[in-house]
Amino acid sequence: MAEARYREYLVDRVLAEGQPITYRLLSRALQVHVNIAKQMLYDFHAEQTKKQPKSVHATYLLTGKERSSEHSNGDIAHNGDDTAMRSSPFMSSLPEPENTPESPVPTTSVVLVREEELEKTKSGFEEITSIHIYSLEPGPIENLNLLAVCNQEIARSHASGDPLERWRDYGSIQNPYIKRRTTKYAPAMAKPTTKATVKATAAVSAPNEGSKQGPAVAARKESTPEESKSGRSTPQPGPTASLKRSDSKTMTKKDASVGNLFKSFAKAKPKAKEAEKPIEEDAMQGMSEDEGDADDEPAVKFDEEKAAAARKAREEREQKLQEMMEADGTSVLDMPDAPTEETDSQDAPIDKETPNQPAESEATVTVQGGRRRGKRRVMKKKKVKDEDGYLVTKEEAVWESFSEDEPEPKKAKPTPKPTVAKGKKNGGKGQGSIASFFKKA
Amino acid sequence: MASSDGILLKGAPFEDPAAVSSRNASAYRPLHTFELPKGSEKHYAHQFADMYFVRLAQLKEAVKQKAHEAWDAFELAGDKAKYVERVLDVRQGELCWVVGTVYMEMAMKPNVLDDISKEHWIAAPPSRDTYVSPSGTDDMMLEDESGRLRVAGNSLNSHYVTGCILAALGTEQADGSFQVIATQYADLPRQPQRWEAEDASLTVAKEPTPKREKAGKLAIVSGLDMTGKDEDDVTLDLLVEYLSGEAGGPDQASASSITRLVIAGNSLSNASPILSREEFDVRKGAKRNYGYDSSSYNATPAEKFDAFLAEILPALPVSVLPGEQDPANVALPQQPLHPALFPLSRAYQYPPALANETLEGLDLVTNPWEADVEGWRILGTAGQTLDDLLKYVDGVWPLDAMEMMLRWRCIAPTAPDTLWCYPFQDDDPLILKECPHIYFAGNREKFQAKFVKGPAGQQVLIVGVPKFSKTGQIVLVDMETLEVETVKLGYVKPGP
Repeated sequence: MAEARYREYLVDRVLAEGQPITYRLLSRALQVHVNIAKQMLYDFHAEQTKKQPKSVHATYLLTGKERSSEHSNGDIAHNGDDTAMRSSPFMSSLPEPENTPESPVPTTSVVLVREEELEKTKSGFEEITSIHIYSLEPGPIENLNLLAVCNQEIARSHASGDPLERWRDYGSIQNPYIKRRTTKYAPAMAKPTTKATVKATAAVSAPNEGSKQGPAVAARKESTPEESKSGRSTPQPGPTASLKRSDSKTMTKKDASVGNLFKSFAKAKPKAKEAEKPIEEDAMQGMSEDEGDADDEPAVKFDEEKAAAARKAREEREQKLQEMMEADGTSVLDMPDAPTEETDSQDAPIDKETPNQPAESEATVTVQGGRRRGKRRVMKKKKVKDEDGYLVTKEEAVWESFSEDEPEPKKAKPTPKPTVAKGKKNGGKGQGSIASFFKKA
Repeated sequence: MASSDGILLKGAPFEDPAAVSSRNASAYRPLHTFELPKGSEKHYAHQFADMYFVRLAQLKEAVKQKAHEAWDAFELAGDKAKYVERVLDVRQGELCWVVGTVYMEMAMKPNVLDDISKEHWIAAPPSRDTYVSPSGTDDMMLEDESGRLRVAGNSLNSHYVTGCILAALGTEQADGSFQVIATQYADLPRQPQRWEAEDASLTVAKEPTPKREKAGKLAIVSGLDMTGKDEDDVTLDLLVEYLSGEAGGPDQASASSITRLVIAGNSLSNASPILSREEFDVRKGAKRNYGYDSSSYNATPAEKFDAFLAEILPALPVSVLPGEQDPANVALPQQPLHPALFPLSRAYQYPPALANETLEGLDLVTNPWEADVEGWRILGTAGQTLDDLLKYVDGVWPLDAMEMMLRWRCIAPTAPDTLWCYPFQDDDPLILKECPHIYFAGNREKFQAKFVKGPAGQQVLIVGVPKFSKTGQIVLVDMETLEVETVKLGYVKPGP
């Protein structure tokens, strides 16, 4: 039951991973009513504080009436800088102040507040209609906007299911009149992986690839767009930012068992590794886990070197790939012709070093409509006058473009082409194009 | 201090939550007053002069009637005031009244002729906070199809703006200016009864009037100003959680009385297709890029807005007005935002091919917007009309300016002079034909509301909806009593 699981979940999330959690995310994760989730947070918070004060930090959500709207102006943070009131100097010269509508309008305030400021804020309220824990986090947070990470996570990982049925589980307001049509195309908005996991897998997989010499190009291909996507997407400090911050704050007072993803990876604590495991499963295959445990420092260094090497290799591969992609489409298509010719004529394995016939072997050939065009390397004799005034004949390898009318004798391919062309001509003879008329004449 | 059941600060054993509350339907009848013809039916080659002509022709009768009522018995030193048909027929020294369109000649006002003549050698002046020149040399004219008459008089001081239709009583002075004693305007038009249109259609269909449930509340918010950054995320999250009834204690149910949310413009912080002056300079100086330029378009705010709507929509119908900063056309009336901007939330919209309105769900509407909600006629704008009007006058409260717009029967008097506007030809929807019950303008500096009464018993609730990004406030209007309240969402800034 969810009641039993929540403690475990919160320990994992807040204490072990050092991530903030809101009641909303908890209710999504455990599939419980939001009000129960709020109570779970309180329960957990009370328990942990009893065990060890200040081990968990909470923020509260207050709903109620503030004492005076003027007074609260200073307290409640408004985003953005104050823009000067338009023509405010002139306002004072207003002739009829009774015209201004100052009838008191009932205002409900919903205020999110850290536990440090809770009492002070409470005293500013005339009436409090409700109060509950909004979020728990490992340490005091400076910027409450970081809590938005939780709702982003909801959008990412708990978006499945019919939104119109959400109220059953979570107790939000239901509206029976809203209809949702199923669109033909499902938007690929929810990014499947969080930034942190992408980064983690990348960090792990890099050395992995370095050790594996021939990685499938396809796999690379798949991973590159993902990386670029994550790089381009929301410039918000995602979970990673919060991790770092909470880490720096809390690590000092708490034992090292509270670690973030990267730290735990570097130090290779077995426990943290277990926590990570589901994320990295695939990437970890190539690595033996013992290695990391045996000696920490060198392993990390070694990994870094490896990672650098792998990065280099990857960059080269990418460049090659790019070149391939950029090459002319026709030539790519016709490429297979050239090697077959060679194997036909020479009966040699491809990877064997070809004998000194640079002109043939190194030619880049494109075949177009029965004509071979390209560049080949030929040895040319060059006469140069040297310093002493002697004529020196040198042999130099020079690239020369060529175009051959005659296809190679062994090639059978070009022959059908003329026949096709002829056939066309014959077929068209009934009408006769103007061009053919002129040709005849 | 607090009622005990609102305090959720207790642990196990967990109480079973209260029963889930559900929302009532929102009785909604969109009017499509401001929808422009589609595609090639739109013509931008028309002259704007026609708009002034139509405006004067349509409002002249109403203004004349008001002036007759007021001034027919008026006598000054034995002189009876008489009506003069055209402004150029005014004779010197004769007590008379004329009807015409106001034109303000202001030194600081952008002038299209200046723009053209100076185009080649100077950049256009930056947009101004006010058009009122500090030296007080601004002139006011009254014009009709015959010509212009310069008017003067203390009663006019900064109370009128270009484009409103006015009857002026006075005499022409020796210097040719028309000394005004008093003025009259059209005042509020007829106001429909609540449920009038619905009842009429039911009567035509010979159906009995249904017993209507007690209406809920209308929530209005404006200026969400979504940036791609996460500086305002928590406040927006709180808004979502408040509207979905998840935040708070058992008083969550109070949010279930909200039956519709109206977003009055400026949902995105900077998505207007027109670059500001500074942005343009930056863009010009930058190196030219070909192909997709990620620096010129950032999809994050739009994606965030879409996700925001998709969170709210399962339980609450939303009407979205475009605003000045939103990716819609800039000329009034702004047409609905394109559904392609909302890949997630447009599932809650009827297929645009089948219907151009969505009664429950995502309702993308024009700015200005006119509709019947719970039987009341509602007119709303995203605030550009008001912002521009306020530049003409000094020391006028926004709510008073809104009231005057209604009384002039002109939703956007300063269009097309200083406000971009579609060149309407035969009819101008920006002329107020029926008086609304609720008139709101978005993107104000602070929340304001008041009631206005008309000569025939009309009663209008005027609301200035504050920018959410600045104040964190949303406005709730009780659709039974037309009472207003606000909800303020925010957080306490962490102390040192």
